[in-house]
Amino acid sequence: MKKNIFLEKSSLFRKQSKKDWNKLNKTQKYFQIEDGKFDCIYFKDERKYSNTYCNNQNWEICVEIDLKTNKKANKDALNALKNGANSICFLNFNNHNLNIILDQIQFDILKINFKNIKTSLAKIVNQLIEIAVSRYGKNYKTKIQGFFHISHEDYKKFKDIISIINLQEKLPNYRLLNLEINKNNSMKEQFNNIEAIFQLMRNENYNSNFIISKDTIAKQLITFSYTLSNQFLYEISTLRAFRIAYEKKYKCTPIINCSINYNTSDDNSLIETCVKSIAAILGGTDMITIKYNEKNIQLYLMQQLILKYESNLHKVTDPLHGSYFIEYLTYHINNTKQNKIKIKKKNNFWQTFEGINIKSRYTKSTNKNIQHLNYGAGEPPFLRGPYSTMYSQKKWTIRQYSGFSTAEESNKFYKKNLKAGQTGLSIAFDLPTHRGYDSDNERVFGDVGKAGVAIDSIQDMETLFNGIDLSKTSVSMTMNGAIIPIMAFYIATAEKKGIKKEQLTGTIQNDILKEFMVRNTYIYPPAASMRIVRDIFKYTSQYMPKFNNISVSGYHMLEAGASADIELAYTLCDGLEYVRNGIQAGLKIDEFAPRLSFFWGVGMNFFMEIAKIRAARFLWSQMIAPFHPKNPKSLMLRSHCQTSGWSLTKQNPKNNITRTTIEALAAVMGGTQSLHTNALDEAIALPTNYTAKIARDTQLFLQNNTDICHAVDPFGGSYFIEKLTDELIHKAKKHITEIENMGGMVKAIEQGIPKLRIETSAIKRQTKIDSSENLIIGLNCFQNKEKTKIKILEIDNKKVQNNQIKKLTTIKKNRDNTLIKKALKNLQTACSNQDGNILELAIVAAKAQATLGEISNTLEKVFERYKAKTIINSGVYAMEKKNDKNFITAQKLTDEFKLINGRRPRILTTKIGQDGHDRGIKIIATSFADIGFDVDIAPLFQTPKEIVKQALENDVHIIGISSLAGGHKTLIPEIINLLKENNRNDIIVIAGGIIPELDYKYLKNKGVNKIFGSGTIVLDAAVEILNELLLKWK
Amino acid sequence: MEIKDYLEGIQKCDRAILGKSITLTESSLKKDKIKAEKLLSKCIHLKQKSLRIGVSGTPGVGKSTFIESLGRKLIKENYKIAVLAIDPSSNLSKGSILGDKTRMEHLVNSDLAFIRPSPNSGTLGGVSKNTKDAITICEAAGFDIIIIETVGVGQAETLVKSMTDILIYLTLIQNGDELQFIKKGILELCDIILINKCDQNHKKSKQVAVSLQNSLTYTQQKIKQSILVCSALNGFNITNIWEQIKTIEKQKNKQGIIKKNRIQQNIFWFKKILKDELYDLIKTNPKFKDVIDNFKNKPNTNPRTAVSKIIKKTFKEDLK
Ligand SMILES: Nc1nc2c(ncn2[C@@H]2O[C@H](COP(=O)(O)OP(=O)(O)OP(=O)(O)O)[C@@H](O)[C@H]2O)c(=O)[nH]1
Ligand SMILES: [Mg+2]
Repeated sequence: MKKNIFLEKSSLFRKQSKKDWNKLNKTQKYFQIEDGKFDCIYFKDERKYSNTYCNNQNWEICVEIDLKTNKKANKDALNALKNGANSICFLNFNNHNLNIILDQIQFDILKINFKNIKTSLAKIVNQLIEIAVSRYGKNYKTKIQGFFHISHEDYKKFKDIISIINLQEKLPNYRLLNLEINKNNSMKEQFNNIEAIFQLMRNENYNSNFIISKDTIAKQLITFSYTLSNQFLYEISTLRAFRIAYEKKYKCTPIINCSINYNTSDDNSLIETCVKSIAAILGGTDMITIKYNEKNIQLYLMQQLILKYESNLHKVTDPLHGSYFIEYLTYHINNTKQNKIKIKKKNNFWQTFEGINIKSRYTKSTNKNIQHLNYGAGEPPFLRGPYSTMYSQKKWTIRQYSGFSTAEESNKFYKKNLKAGQTGLSIAFDLPTHRGYDSDNERVFGDVGKAGVAIDSIQDMETLFNGIDLSKTSVSMTMNGAIIPIMAFYIATAEKKGIKKEQLTGTIQNDILKEFMVRNTYIYPPAASMRIVRDIFKYTSQYMPKFNNISVSGYHMLEAGASADIELAYTLCDGLEYVRNGIQAGLKIDEFAPRLSFFWGVGMNFFMEIAKIRAARFLWSQMIAPFHPKNPKSLMLRSHCQTSGWSLTKQNPKNNITRTTIEALAAVMGGTQSLHTNALDEAIALPTNYTAKIARDTQLFLQNNTDICHAVDPFGGSYFIEKLTDELIHKAKKHITEIENMGGMVKAIEQGIPKLRIETSAIKRQTKIDSSENLIIGLNCFQNKEKTKIKILEIDNKKVQNNQIKKLTTIKKNRDNTLIKKALKNLQTACSNQDGNILELAIVAAKAQATLGEISNTLEKVFERYKAKTIINSGVYAMEKKNDKNFITAQKLTDEFKLINGRRPRILTTKIGQDGHDRGIKIIATSFADIGFDVDIAPLFQTPKEIVKQALENDVHIIGISSLAGGHKTLIPEIINLLKENNRNDIIVIAGGIIPELDYKYLKNKGVNKIFGSGTIVLDAAVEILNELLLKWK
Repeated sequence: MEIKDYLEGIQKCDRAILGKSITLTESSLKKDKIKAEKLLSKCIHLKQKSLRIGVSGTPGVGKSTFIESLGRKLIKENYKIAVLAIDPSSNLSKGSILGDKTRMEHLVNSDLAFIRPSPNSGTLGGVSKNTKDAITICEAAGFDIIIIETVGVGQAETLVKSMTDILIYLTLIQNGDELQFIKKGILELCDIILINKCDQNHKKSKQVAVSLQNSLTYTQQKIKQSILVCSALNGFNITNIWEQIKTIEKQKNKQGIIKKNRIQQNIFWFKKILKDELYDLIKTNPKFKDVIDNFKNKPNTNPRTAVSKIIKKTFKEDLK
């Protein structure tokens, strides 16, 4: 019963040409960078001069060290090399002793360069050769390599001392001359200069009997250096242009070295250097040089390593080859017609996590069978953007998700952010609110005010928006489970302030389906939840035309470990299910589809993420077309993106600035409509003012300091990106069809299939990290023992809770309880009968001051509270790991324990409180079982008392607690106390998840045996625990 | 901890000590085994009246969910219940995932319920004498109803049968040959067959139940099995099933079947434990190493000869 839910007829959507596009908009269409005037979009037929360069895939990381004393230079160089540099450039050489400087440095595998040489060149050369001979013998010549950065002027100075020919014989792999690529010169002038120097060099050597050929100079003797500006697209194009022109002219590839300078006292500098580095890399630089600075060198080196190992920028040579925009700019800069360049085909693949094979090069022929290439922006299928002019007219909204403790505190924070340039609010609620409990409910002890703001009543909501004009501020609310009371409070608050609901703008997440797959903050069962969604659709389409009534979210799937294709497919499936739900509610497609929006997570795989967002828009148009909308906006997918919190590490938190910048750039290149950038301490705690500012500044930098906003889909047309988009489209279609064949997403969820798929994906991801197949800087490579202390924001949740309870008591005392009873009764009737709108009646109750818990509980009486299904798939970890040495060692330890203790080590894995993020704990459960533990799994949402009861009954050796929402300081000590009361303090308590290092001491004092932060290698943790157990029982 | 501490705890129904006592019976250490035996022999005398219910069926059929539904009902009626869930999946070489509690959220949090998931100790289907021991301990602690969850593979049913008073078998309707799906032999062992997840296909489930019931009329049983549809997930028919359980219990009691069963069960276990232990003793005794090695290495040794050699060596006196 296979049905195709995609309308794939090629005549369905119009192919877009420049002419078509021009007709779509009446406003300004040009912009200026440097000397050029450009359109903001280019099309396939404008790609006349498509060109690529040959030979570059990876870049070297060079550190520039200013020579003071020999010893210090040596120490600095070793430090730089240890931290990932693969080349050193010594500055100001002047009577130094190279033997000391190069002590312990294996310069047969590195480049050693010299710049600003203050002494005679011969001195360096002789020393260098002497050391090389003594270390590597007579064959040293082929082994050592590097550059002498001798500028044009300096060259004259050195010419008497040593002839080029001479040097060439002695150090055949050393390059001698360095030429600055000057931004202010046109490419033509640039090349005139090069020619002049070539001539000069040849003249200088004229006296000797040899004549050095131009070829030799071009191929072997010269290097170029370049300093980038912030103009991202323009700089990529400049570098490409230079490479391509040089290759054409001299039939060889140039060596380009980009210097990137940073400000040593400003963390924001990392944002700028990151963007510049990406431009350099995409433009094909051979080397990136950064200055040595005691304080920050490590940070900036790690930035390079992250770019190299985590974001896969260099897997494809000239990845932007074919991009209409970049090729146009490149052409403009070169201003010459190009010959075809012959490319040697290499056949190695790199396989992505999605299982897509990435070739090392993409060309026109790669894109032969792709269907989507002719579609544009601003009209269906919106491949290149929902709007025709994109950021050139309207920048994306900077929407930072935040909220903590009480409404009062959050309100202060919001107002400050709005003042600082944030353009929309995004509200995070605490877990009790998400799960429909008032702050005085005994189940939520420890969770109140953590990870978001506590809202119990309309009063709290009023406080939250105090002094904020709701008719002007777009408000995004992350709420799914307790959506009815929260929407009711919000609408009632606005009305109380005299704002019509028609004026309200913003977004409510309202995506309950994904909660059943990943985040677990649902309240009612799937079918009942869908009824609620229907009522919200009905109400908002009737009364709140400017409000986005759902934000279909893939973010949480990505965070839970899903691959890009799964995130894409399942999110679109969810979207489709909501559309059907709306139709079922009696709405017409055009009445609500234009208000749907999507929410993507953006991870570190740069190009994949760009392709994902583009593919999503195209697929969605094809999926909605069968509903025959009249309004083209119904076919339009608008995106909100958030950079991945999962990709961040708690080790070296400042590295997260780099990660977030890369991800933000990908989101923007994909064409997102709004963006949340994570704060660098997201993996540890709530952001502080300082870290929140850096996160915001990341976006402000991209918007205001670069040329990114001028262009529409600037990477569109790139053979690589279009192919990747195409592959994702096909992969996603397969997944979508599979879900459809199960009867749609609700059915699939009931069978637990999507959840299982995502979890399998997550475990695979973890094994790849554990075995260092995927490198994460600071985590499984380049670990750094030094700890960066950063301040974190601490919430005194006892205080928050007491405060909330006090407010609740006052409200309950002062309100008219007969009014409440009546309102809640009507609400309950609406729930049991299919007629009557739940939201509408909840608003009445909210105005009468019913609390969140009361409203939610009224619904629960009819719908019941949904109990999670936990399915664990074991064996995945073992499958991936079976030959791993450490894995086998760990297995042996469990066997050893059994011999001593009479049974296998037994661990109860659990979450505490209302925190439903169970990805981490599930990975632990499956992998520990595969290692040889007996693993008990507790249900979600347990109180300390309930956890201890299970630990006692199951008689475990260990309780492993995962906490991601900040309740650990109250809940874990409570568990330990209860164990003591039952005389079972022999049970070892360990904790993991997001726990700030500052709390480690506190928890250890309370009796926590071990704490594993986010990003711990699972096997390492297992071995550590086993050793502890063995020690205890021996 | 001393035996007397264990006993005291068990009598007080102290969860921590109950947990540890069961661990003791599961341990593979010699010193624990000795302790366990002592403890159990005391427990037998503390034994109180209880109803033992076995719940069996293929993995994923809904056993844990069913126990949760039934358990909720029992708790409402103030019964104290113990659930012993045996994990089917583990084998000797690795650990296991004990996830049954996630399906029994309500029971997990109730003071009236005690749930102990156990990894199997390498036996087929997972039920072993450990389970039997755990039952003894739970009875000593005064639980009214003891439910044993186990997967139905191979001989497991026979083993569950041999430690329970009432055996419930859960199954699903599949495409096509529904009757075939229920293994022969199981029908004779079970008291109640439940066609679960009827919420997914109510009409079909009903039909199958009726036709199955009809086919059963012909088998000879003192008490006829009942075949019922059920939704463990939403609780459909649970009340009815509980009534049925009580009826069967009453009937069996009236006819003295339960008592008889338990005696037979004891004999069964006596034999089984005797066999197992004797075999173990002989296998590990150096005196017999020759015989066993010889037997193992030479293809032509007659097993009977080997056995009689061992018997002769062991029971010299008695054989005279
Ligand atoms: N639709 C429906 N699903 C059910 C029903 N009973 C159980 N399930 C689902 O079936 C799956 C397996 O249920 P369990 O109770 O864990 O089954 P089990 O037999 O205990 O499984 P094991 O312990 O792994 O052998 C879960 O996803 C349950 O939610 C039912 O009556 N209707
Ligand atoms: Mg089960």
